[in-house]
Amino acid sequence: MKPRGAGLAIYAVGAFLFLHLPLLILSIFSFNSSRFTVWEGFSLRWYSAALHDTQLTEAAVNSLIIAVVATLFSTVIGTLCAYGLWKRNSRPLAGSLYLSLVTPEIVTGISLLAFYQWIFRFLRVQLGMHTVILAHISFSIAYVVIVVIARLRTVDATLEEAALDLGANEWQAFRYVTLPAILPGVIAAALLAFTVSFDDYVITSLVAGVDSETLPMVIYAIARRGVNPIVNAISALIVVGFGSLVLISERLRTA
Amino acid sequence: MNRLRAWFLAPTWTANITLFLAPLAIILGYSFLTRGVYGGITSPWTAESYQRLIDPIYLAILWRSFWVAGASTALCLLLGFPLALFIARAGRLKNFYLGLVMLPFWTSFLVRTYAWMFLLRDTGLLNTFLQKLGIIHSPLPLLYNDGAVILGLVYGYLPFTVLPLYATLERLDRTLLEAAADLGAKPWATLMRVTIPLSAPGIRAGAILVFIPCLGAYLTPDLLGGGKSVMIGNLIQNQFTTARDWPFGSAVSLVLMAIVMVLLFVIARGEGEDLL
Amino acid sequence: MNRRYFLFGTLAAGGLGACSRDRRPRLNIFNWSAYIAPDTVPKFESEFGVRVRYGIYESNEEMLARVMGGNSGWDIVFPTGYIVKPLLANGLVAPIHRELLPNLSQLEPRFQHPDWDPNLQWSVPYMVTAAGIAYNRKLDPPPKAWADMWDPRLRGRMTMLDDPFDTMGASLKKLGFSVNATDSGQLDRARAEAIRQKPLLRAYLNAEARDQLVSGDVLAAHMWNTTAQQAMDSSKDVGFVYPIEGYAVYPDASVILRESKRQELAHQFINFLLRPDIAAANALTARTTTTNAGARKILPPDFRDNPTLYPAPDVVARGEWAVTLDPATQRLRDRLWTEIKAA
Repeated sequence: MKPRGAGLAIYAVGAFLFLHLPLLILSIFSFNSSRFTVWEGFSLRWYSAALHDTQLTEAAVNSLIIAVVATLFSTVIGTLCAYGLWKRNSRPLAGSLYLSLVTPEIVTGISLLAFYQWIFRFLRVQLGMHTVILAHISFSIAYVVIVVIARLRTVDATLEEAALDLGANEWQAFRYVTLPAILPGVIAAALLAFTVSFDDYVITSLVAGVDSETLPMVIYAIARRGVNPIVNAISALIVVGFGSLVLISERLRTA
Repeated sequence: MNRLRAWFLAPTWTANITLFLAPLAIILGYSFLTRGVYGGITSPWTAESYQRLIDPIYLAILWRSFWVAGASTALCLLLGFPLALFIARAGRLKNFYLGLVMLPFWTSFLVRTYAWMFLLRDTGLLNTFLQKLGIIHSPLPLLYNDGAVILGLVYGYLPFTVLPLYATLERLDRTLLEAAADLGAKPWATLMRVTIPLSAPGIRAGAILVFIPCLGAYLTPDLLGGGKSVMIGNLIQNQFTTARDWPFGSAVSLVLMAIVMVLLFVIARGEGEDLL
Repeated sequence: MNRRYFLFGTLAAGGLGACSRDRRPRLNIFNWSAYIAPDTVPKFESEFGVRVRYGIYESNEEMLARVMGGNSGWDIVFPTGYIVKPLLANGLVAPIHRELLPNLSQLEPRFQHPDWDPNLQWSVPYMVTAAGIAYNRKLDPPPKAWADMWDPRLRGRMTMLDDPFDTMGASLKKLGFSVNATDSGQLDRARAEAIRQKPLLRAYLNAEARDQLVSGDVLAAHMWNTTAQQAMDSSKDVGFVYPIEGYAVYPDASVILRESKRQELAHQFINFLLRPDIAAANALTARTTTTNAGARKILPPDFRDNPTLYPAPDVVARGEWAVTLDPATQRLRDRLWTEIKAA
């Protein structure tokens, strides 16, 4: 087994390099003083430009607000749903959730756009932050359910039974026995929902309104006009930001 | 128990019905209507949009999407399997390695696609590097072709194969492998005839998680493909923007959905138990 | 548990704090990217005591997709001339009240009665762009005609616009037809020409080609004159030519959306745009041709005589205004564009 182990390790190193090198290079060049791919000196000008660009900062704030609100709702709704499905499966619901997971984003996006336009005939609701948040909640729920159910499967069902025998009602059994046991899973699900929401471009770009431009939308607009080191700077900030978020959540999980 | 459970499932049902199923139903309706004079939707009801789909060019687009998605999926599985194997055998460092795999995933998909734009273009890093080394004298056209698109897709979706494969491989019963060795099997044979077949659920899950988004991809082909080829995702997006032909776009969307559902049925059939 | 609440609490508070309470009336304007002078909007905001939200788009289609539903939230958009009719047909446009636009007289005479809106009931002309060929001077001899874009020596170093009307228009012009052709025979031949060109093509790019043109990776690009001018501003190595077979000309206009709840304020903004000094500043920033006669007079001479933006009369005569196509032709062209793209 030894030679194979070494071969596998070498492969793994290569694979990790493949995964991380592009982003690393992107980040390194975000400190390049020139906009070309020739290193011309260390500079923070692109970071300064990014932070001074009001469109960018507003979009980043929007993305954060949307992601936080959508995560809150989808985590709560999804956790409850996962618990319900764990107790007894519901084929239609599970199937529908799975379908929403694998539906191509462009289809989800335009169907929501059509839906909002149709609703507009009766409710005069304009496209805006709320339409984006609702869309994000909708597609995040399935992710939350998957993660929390996986965690639930590791929980001993007899614990709840014991609680019920000892006089607790169902809600208390859930709240004080099962929920603490799955909390790490819930946090992981929240993190996943946050990432998926913050990162979304296709669906958001279709249902966003005047006030709800998000960071991916701005990045895409800039990228479409060509390579621009400002995007490198934003990317580096996002990687660091999310890396920290993951670290914090790991700490919370294992706390 | 049932009452509590009903309350717990209700919010999801509501969200799912209003924000997923109802919109799909609207699209279904649109697909049977007619394009308004200058865009939009009007009556009459007609199946014309679907009839238009039966046309060599759309079949060509479908075929192309299958080939790009298929190639990306195959590469993801091929590249992801050894990595998942490594992590599954890693002992104490398992979570660390998993985190390392997932870290790019936590960054924006758009950013990861942009990274390849940055690396592959004529004045990008790869070309500049190769030219500096004297290996080539003029830039290679690395961007704006199918290869670049597949590379971008593989890079974006690789974690999606590593995770399910890892999950399956980690639960693999080591004693089976030992038994195979005891019976005289060489390591390669064990791999091919024991390990891989036993990781079938992981392979299936990984295949689904990569193939289907790749099939409907439109950002990556758009940015890395130079607009020179049309995949289903581009076609749909085009119908809802440039062509302003909502009924036709809806029809294509629903056909895509139908294909996805058939694929799920075929691939996930073997799962038996609930997929979630 | 406490840490989680704290984390979420801080984020929520931060989010709420970001929404400031501003009581001034707000105007939402949706325009092409890089199509206005940087101080136009701030000047308007301070002179009229209002707030403006300014959004940008890269293509008519992008804008259309947003406003089609009638619930987008935008007040003013800037469609290209041939998009005005579809907007109108879908009931998305609010009528223009000429009495609220005293500066209308500043427009050049030919733009007082444009083809797409003879009495300016629905739109007000803004600026004009055209499509031609931008080239890097490394290319010797430089291109002069659309036919040059089919030259084999350009293989892999040439881009065309990712726009159905423009690219089919180039093929049509090469064959000697009108950019607004409706005849299916002509259109089919144009399709064949475009497909013939594909092997030489690097990519279908819009603004993205600009940097590559400057660096010399791309030798010839199908480009709008404004983008080309931006490239020429940053490099002497770039030139621009209006092909001898003719080219398409695109007027842009401002339009007030019917869904707007601030019609009067919208009129005031449009009137503001028609002020010669403002119009001149906009044209200078956007590197475009202005429709405003008053602005023309006060433009700096080297800009006013710029052959790319204000070409000589014989060049102007070769230009052809893009018009709205009837639905059947539009359908056919969409279909042909898909075929070209998928080839």
